[in-house]
Amino acid sequence: MTRSLRTLAPHYVMLLPFFALFVVFFLYPIGSGFYYSFFQWDAINEPTYVGVENYSDIMGSRKFEKGITNILTYVAITVPLGITVAFLLAVLVDSFNGFWSKVFRSAYFVPVMMPLFLAATLWRWIYAPNFGILNTFLGWFGIDSINFLNNTDTMLLAMIAVDVWVSAGFNMVIILAGLKNVPQHLYEAARLDGANKLQEIRYVTIPMIAPVLFFVVTYGFISALQVFDVPWLLTTSEFTSYGGRRQTLLFPVMDMIGRGFGALKFGEAAAYGFILTVIIMTVTATLFLIRRRIK
Amino acid sequence: MTDAIASPSALASNRRKIKVPSLWTVLKWIAAISVAVVALFPLWWMFSVVFAEAGVPVAVNPRLYPTSFTDGFAKIWEVFEETGYLRAYYVSIMYTILTIAGVLLISSMAAFEFALFDFPGKNALFAVVMLSLMVPLAVTLIPTYLLVAQLGWVNTMQGLVVPGLASAFGLFMMTQFMQSIPKETLEAGRLEGANHFQLYWYIALPLSKNALITLAILTFMKTWGNFIWPLVVSNTREVYTVSQVINQFNSPFSHTTVDVVMTANFLAAIPPILFFVFFQRWIIEGVQMSGSKG
Repeated sequence: MTRSLRTLAPHYVMLLPFFALFVVFFLYPIGSGFYYSFFQWDAINEPTYVGVENYSDIMGSRKFEKGITNILTYVAITVPLGITVAFLLAVLVDSFNGFWSKVFRSAYFVPVMMPLFLAATLWRWIYAPNFGILNTFLGWFGIDSINFLNNTDTMLLAMIAVDVWVSAGFNMVIILAGLKNVPQHLYEAARLDGANKLQEIRYVTIPMIAPVLFFVVTYGFISALQVFDVPWLLTTSEFTSYGGRRQTLLFPVMDMIGRGFGALKFGEAAAYGFILTVIIMTVTATLFLIRRRIK
Repeated sequence: MTDAIASPSALASNRRKIKVPSLWTVLKWIAAISVAVVALFPLWWMFSVVFAEAGVPVAVNPRLYPTSFTDGFAKIWEVFEETGYLRAYYVSIMYTILTIAGVLLISSMAAFEFALFDFPGKNALFAVVMLSLMVPLAVTLIPTYLLVAQLGWVNTMQGLVVPGLASAFGLFMMTQFMQSIPKETLEAGRLEGANHFQLYWYIALPLSKNALITLAILTFMKTWGNFIWPLVVSNTREVYTVSQVINQFNSPFSHTTVDVVMTANFLAAIPPILFFVFFQRWIIEGVQMSGSKG
């Protein structure tokens, strides 16, 4: 089958805008970033070739160690907690029918609509010592004011609370769509076998919505590993100083931005991006392998 | 519940008649309402801070409900007039509108080809775009900034908008949707003398209305809330987005009062809330659609 250029040309014309932008603003930056990652460059003077020094400098630095420790702790708590909350909310909303189910679903979804920068700055003031509303509540019960965002014991938990507040509704809605697709007769069969509510969830609901849960978990890991907006704003970070008290909320993307725009080491920042990508892709690949095992 | 167990023969029809709700139902309602309070209270508090009498200490008025609408509007006026917020609002709206328009047009054009036609290189091109969905943002951020700087686009609207236009997710979503357009419809259009571009514009696009609305909303949420890209690429007052002004208010030495921050936040929350009120069905379906791809 041979087709002339005349009949094929319109197809490529339609593809051109997307692929032109895709090549210039996606493929090219990946390539140039990889190239820059072997140079020392402040984006003003000429770049100097330094080999793999950027990579070894990053991996040997205190901040990298701190960032990786923090992100691992954070991810290990926020992903399971966030998805458990979302799952419970979905089951709760699903147990109502009609009108009230919609009302609660909408109410729980409203925080998802809020930009992360808004959620972070709003909660920063909720947590504020003395006059923040949370400390006002605690005051009514005779509890002394806690500086949630400047106390290394509470900082991470305070941040995770914000995280769950914004994202629970998002995951809930996805899980809810999964729940609606579970055939009712499976529940009836389980009930006939004498299953209680919890056993129904364990042996019917969870296996039936496994693909949806897998998506939510994978997506949760990928976005949590790149967390930026919320910790940056909760700790009032700037390019030259970030991560809050004792760098308790220092996370890799913040460090990458700081090395680039604070220290003007753009080669190092580019290298950081590649290190992060390797970590994220390893996690994603592991999740896919686990998924295949279970199947 | 106990009644039903006591007389198992009574079954469901009997349970309908019992007006006293079971313990399970009561707990369920308490849980559902408590969660709703946790979800909505922070936003209600933000609203109450904005519309509270200025200067009254928290010990006297903890801002649990609005107390002065005139003071609230005065604060909004003050934020618009004295902080450059009005300009930022305009920049954010333009940034969002241009991004939505660009993403919809560019991804639907390419999706039209991938969904409905065959041409050499189709599978390879589509595979590359799908692979790009796996690449985290972290890796392209710094080099994209460097490229934008080389183009001289730092602190310009095109610097904000253009790098975000080739949306792999948008292309994927539109392609999935357009595959359901029957090829006979296009054939009929062609018989009436429409050319390739007319088929796209007059047949495929109108039939994809729902997908376009969904993509527009998802793009809106992503763009209006974007913090990291404006943070690195727009550093002067002329091109500050709403997120950047709020970042300035948030900085440790800005001495901005909670009233000003909450007013700025409240104004930033209005467009998303309006979208939610008017497009709730599309928003929730859109999120569910992105989830079902997993």
